[in-house]
Amino acid sequence: MVSTTDTNNPTRLKAAVIGTGQISEEHLRYLSTAPGVELAAVCDLSPSLAKYAIMRFKAGRPFTNATEMLRDVRPDVVHVLTPPHTHVPLATEALDAGAHVIVEKPVAPSNKDFRDLWTHARSRGKWLVEDHNYRFNEPILRIGQLLDSGKLGEVREVEVRMALDVLQEGSRFTDQNLPHPSHKMPAGIIHEFITHLCYLTLRFMPSWDRVAAAWTKQSDEPLFKYDDLDALLLSDKVHGRIRFSAHTAPDTFSVTVRGTKGWAETDLFQPHVRSSVQMPVGKQLNPLANQFVGGYGQVRASVVGFRNKIMQKTPYEGLATFLERTYAALREGNEPPVGFDDMDRASKLVDALLDEKNRI
Amino acid sequence: MKLLVTGANGFLGSYVVLDALRQGHTVRAMVRPAVDIATLGWPTSDRLEVVRADLRSKNGLTDMVRGVDSAIHLAAAKSGDVYTQYAGTVVATENLLAAMTEAGVRRMVAISSFSVYDNMRASPLAAVDEQTPIEKDGLDRDAYAHTKLVQEQLIRDHAAAQKWSLVVIRPGMIWGKDNLLNAWIGMSGGSRFWIRTGAWARIPLTYVENCAEAIVMAASSKGAQGETFNIVDDAAPTQRQFTRMVLRRVAPRRIVVPVSYTLLRLTAGSIALVNKHILGNRARVPSLLVPSRLAARGRPLTYSNKKIKTVLGWKPRYTLEQGLDRSLSTNLPSSSVDSCVTDRSPTSQPATA
Repeated sequence: MVSTTDTNNPTRLKAAVIGTGQISEEHLRYLSTAPGVELAAVCDLSPSLAKYAIMRFKAGRPFTNATEMLRDVRPDVVHVLTPPHTHVPLATEALDAGAHVIVEKPVAPSNKDFRDLWTHARSRGKWLVEDHNYRFNEPILRIGQLLDSGKLGEVREVEVRMALDVLQEGSRFTDQNLPHPSHKMPAGIIHEFITHLCYLTLRFMPSWDRVAAAWTKQSDEPLFKYDDLDALLLSDKVHGRIRFSAHTAPDTFSVTVRGTKGWAETDLFQPHVRSSVQMPVGKQLNPLANQFVGGYGQVRASVVGFRNKIMQKTPYEGLATFLERTYAALREGNEPPVGFDDMDRASKLVDALLDEKNRI
Repeated sequence: MKLLVTGANGFLGSYVVLDALRQGHTVRAMVRPAVDIATLGWPTSDRLEVVRADLRSKNGLTDMVRGVDSAIHLAAAKSGDVYTQYAGTVVATENLLAAMTEAGVRRMVAISSFSVYDNMRASPLAAVDEQTPIEKDGLDRDAYAHTKLVQEQLIRDHAAAQKWSLVVIRPGMIWGKDNLLNAWIGMSGGSRFWIRTGAWARIPLTYVENCAEAIVMAASSKGAQGETFNIVDDAAPTQRQFTRMVLRRVAPRRIVVPVSYTLLRLTAGSIALVNKHILGNRARVPSLLVPSRLAARGRPLTYSNKKIKTVLGWKPRYTLEQGLDRSLSTNLPSSSVDSCVTDRSPTSQPATA
């Protein structure tokens, strides 16, 4: 789809952002520098926050009313970055105003709500895209390459594990003065992360037949519904495990894929891919060769990690790649890299994890 | 007067409530919902009403503000990333201003900060006063300086548009009980050491009870309306003097590790050049090595309190030594108010937003 509002540059898309919380910084950083994108408007209930975003990212105009913004600016693409319970109404309004919509997770409260919103989008000839940014982080892409090259063989086990100290004093999740909106979601604060855990699992384990999920609360924090999740997914040949823990240290966001020929894993918070694959040596020397390669990789990763820390490269690095590929698809009229199937399976899995009949 | 005090459960706020009672005012103290007010040391009085609200949310604010003569606005975020500080300082102020407008409250004492001053441009030949240039936006300094600047301007613009009566207060380094050592004089090096950054720079100190008294006086003074006041006490010791004075009396004893301001300044300047010309300003630099931040802590400047003394007739009630004695005393600060508060009927039940 090409922009119809700029006849001088038909491939230049006009973008607008609704919601200027922390994640908006990542979206705005991309939009403010991406070729072929005009950052035309930023909208937030707070006029000061909207102005800050305009100033910081050299955006177009600030707004405090989304309806007014959509009417005055007529963007081609709207990024909905507001609290989850506002995603469906704002996305609907943006679609009705003629914009494609990129929305932060979760796109909708349930799979049914997602499908309704998707149908609404497609009926208007527009794309609805949920931000699955971690799929596009370099280590995940690297693991994907190892898989595609056959070095891991066929996938047999996938584990996606997040450990976060969400219970620490002063955390936004333990603020009793103004409780975080995720506490009202079905999975409590774990809902803030569950879409990420699901789509990463499904990246390497496309389907499942059975799900069993243990939701527990191990702390006595009054606001929390759950602070631990341990879920098992089973398909014909593949086992998947989704873990969230607020009680183990250090903070981790690890993805492990084990196949019939080798395995690969990464921690997205300290990005480095460790793997064990068949090297061009004999079977007896293979473990040793992998150790040498792994050791060199670990040392190199520590230097790179230090540089990344100083240069403020964060775990959100995949978001720029996701947006770049999404905008390229929108420009060319192709299906974006996060399509119906990706969002449908992820939201179905979230529903399944929360379903009472799957609880253990 | 009936005064609303926001941020009443904070370090300065709790003393402002006490001093407002001491000066004979009726106080509606706005505390955060989860605060235990028993820890604040306030006396029971029918001139003290406690309401609970978080200014980051608009819910119920108009009713909480209605009926007061003036608001003393202290609530602000002191730490966190820029979005956390925007929420706690700027959005909170937007919500308060909207509530005051709706409730018809037209007077405010806004507590800003010395962080708004551009210490790098301040002349060492003249004392820092209310005319000293302020930062352009504070973004290269830190989120606190930036959000306090935005907050102050937001309040000024709103007060001008609504024709309110406004006093802006910029306190220096506020110190007192449980708040003796802070970033202005260095940083902790564990429980055994204190890293003192700089030695000869004078600190614009204001002892918390002195500062609170000045703020309350500003609320009721006709001559203060429309003015901006810096609050600093008469004594402005050097970092070396103050650190020595405090560390001699607190336990456990700490060993001072002095770090030369000149060396820090040279290092910060070098890093800034490399960051700008080679790294495209993308590198994260430790806050102590950000030139504008370092200047705020260690540049040898002097400070004037002439205006607040002349206009308000304020003078610091407690000297440096008296302030330190009181800070290290085990008595609760409200002991200074008890004799002035004779009505012992129960404090009003806190209303919750």
